[in-house]
Amino acid sequence: MMTTRKTKKVCAGVGRTVLLTLFLVTAILPLYWIFVTSLKNPKELYTFPLHYLPRHPTLAGYKSLFSFSNFGVYFKNSLLVSLGASFGAMVLSVLSGFALSRLKAKKGKRVLELILYFSQTIPTFIIMVPLFTIFQKLGLFDKLWALSLVYIATVVAFSTIMSRSFFDKVPVSLEEAAMIDGCTTVQSLRHVILPITLPGMAAIFCFAFINIWNELFLAVMLLMSPDKMTVPVALNSFISKAGISWDTMSAGIIIALLPTMIVFGIGQKYIVAGLTEGSVKE
Amino acid sequence: MFVPTFVFLATFIYYPLCKGVVVAFQNYNMFDLTNVHFIGFKNFADVISDKNTSFWKVFLNTIEWTFFSLLLQFLLGFVLALTLRKPFRGRGIYTGLVFYTWALSGFAIGLIWSWLFNGQAGLVNDLLIRFHVIEKPIGFLSDPRYAMMSVIATNVWYGVPFFGIMLLAALQSVPNDLYEAAIIDGAGAARRLFSVTIPYIKPTIVSTLLLRTMWIVNFPDIIYAMTNGGPVNRTNILSTLMINKVFRQYDYGQGAAIGVIIMTLLGVYSVIYLQVAAKKDGT
Repeated sequence: MMTTRKTKKVCAGVGRTVLLTLFLVTAILPLYWIFVTSLKNPKELYTFPLHYLPRHPTLAGYKSLFSFSNFGVYFKNSLLVSLGASFGAMVLSVLSGFALSRLKAKKGKRVLELILYFSQTIPTFIIMVPLFTIFQKLGLFDKLWALSLVYIATVVAFSTIMSRSFFDKVPVSLEEAAMIDGCTTVQSLRHVILPITLPGMAAIFCFAFINIWNELFLAVMLLMSPDKMTVPVALNSFISKAGISWDTMSAGIIIALLPTMIVFGIGQKYIVAGLTEGSVKE
Repeated sequence: MFVPTFVFLATFIYYPLCKGVVVAFQNYNMFDLTNVHFIGFKNFADVISDKNTSFWKVFLNTIEWTFFSLLLQFLLGFVLALTLRKPFRGRGIYTGLVFYTWALSGFAIGLIWSWLFNGQAGLVNDLLIRFHVIEKPIGFLSDPRYAMMSVIATNVWYGVPFFGIMLLAALQSVPNDLYEAAIIDGAGAARRLFSVTIPYIKPTIVSTLLLRTMWIVNFPDIIYAMTNGGPVNRTNILSTLMINKVFRQYDYGQGAAIGVIIMTLLGVYSVIYLQVAAKKDGT
């Protein structure tokens, strides 16, 4: 009896380890492969059977990326747009999330929540056509700052839902104490509440940054000049009818992934908490 | 303090949404911008009766894409969550390494996997040949028999960690005394899973499945990068059809009409889904 239970336990442990390893390998292999590809020369790319490590590692792909295709400019465009819009979304969502968390009117709260949640179900490619016509009319077309404003709007609803859930955990009594000491609402938000919810703010910033950095369709639609392209638009432009030259493309993908990976690495713990808080909650 | 947030939402999300509905009923072509006028349901009729791209084929593709992506993401994500439930050394790092895919864009993932599935020098072909599963490389993305399978596999790869994290959070909310009580009653592992765990986290499952359904229907990025709907429309779904109407044919009216069709279908689906879910709860 004891032995069967013991073997059962060992089997379960082994099974679990095997599963965990499989998940891990499957998750990492594609990224490893695109990295290896970016270090190969064009000839080695198509040598079959494939080399799992480059025989003659080269940075030629990266060189042509930054010289011929101006990737540095696109990288800077993306960085400016993403940093600016994420910061904007973070500030807006701190204000609206705090207000929503402290709102007493039940009905009003419900309506505001509905507006936030419903906007989450509208995919960006549905609004890209009308946005294009609006942008044309208002002279906002092909302007990076105007695109940033749209990006704020695309992430601010979920950011507000996240920030609300962080503020919900801060007891109201803390503000009341600050109020008694003579703070205004904004002052108590700034000096008492914000320091406590700083990790939450970081999570919102990371979430917004990753989403904005990755966005493709709106940028294709609302920008035109070659020198204004963002990184995803540039990658999209590498796809030609003749096919894709994978040495440059793989280098481009690796560079495109770097910022989001760094941001994800920093904010991972809080992002996971924020995402699950935001959507698990009923 | 709401005002700025809601001004942004109204200007850049809700107003364009309403305007999109208007455009769906207009003749709105980039090559013919001086001639914008209302044409009733013509855009819808044109999309549905298009001879080159069968609307019903695209519709069925959308269902196939959504159903299999969702099912496999959910099942594998659930397995991942269950294996992660008990703490072990390095679990935090492990979760980070598995979950990093969330930080990648669907477009980049589509590009990466179109290289992995490459018919000449793809890693998938290489591995299958090495293990003697196949003899000659397969054109995973150019052969209509394999194209849909390949884009779905990519989407599953992308979505499993997300489902895993969501379900893990839900699993950790199940109180331990429920399991202890079940063990005392002599329930085995399978019984505990179906009688304790699943009923307890059902609200999370119901809402996550609905949200992910909408999300997958509205997710053209992977297909756009891998096959752009081809070969011969085998992987064309409603959202890629719409993107191509806009990016390739510059027919914004028809593009907007497809958008309205997608929103309507999802709206109807959500209402039915929620009613069925509520009914099951009642009995």
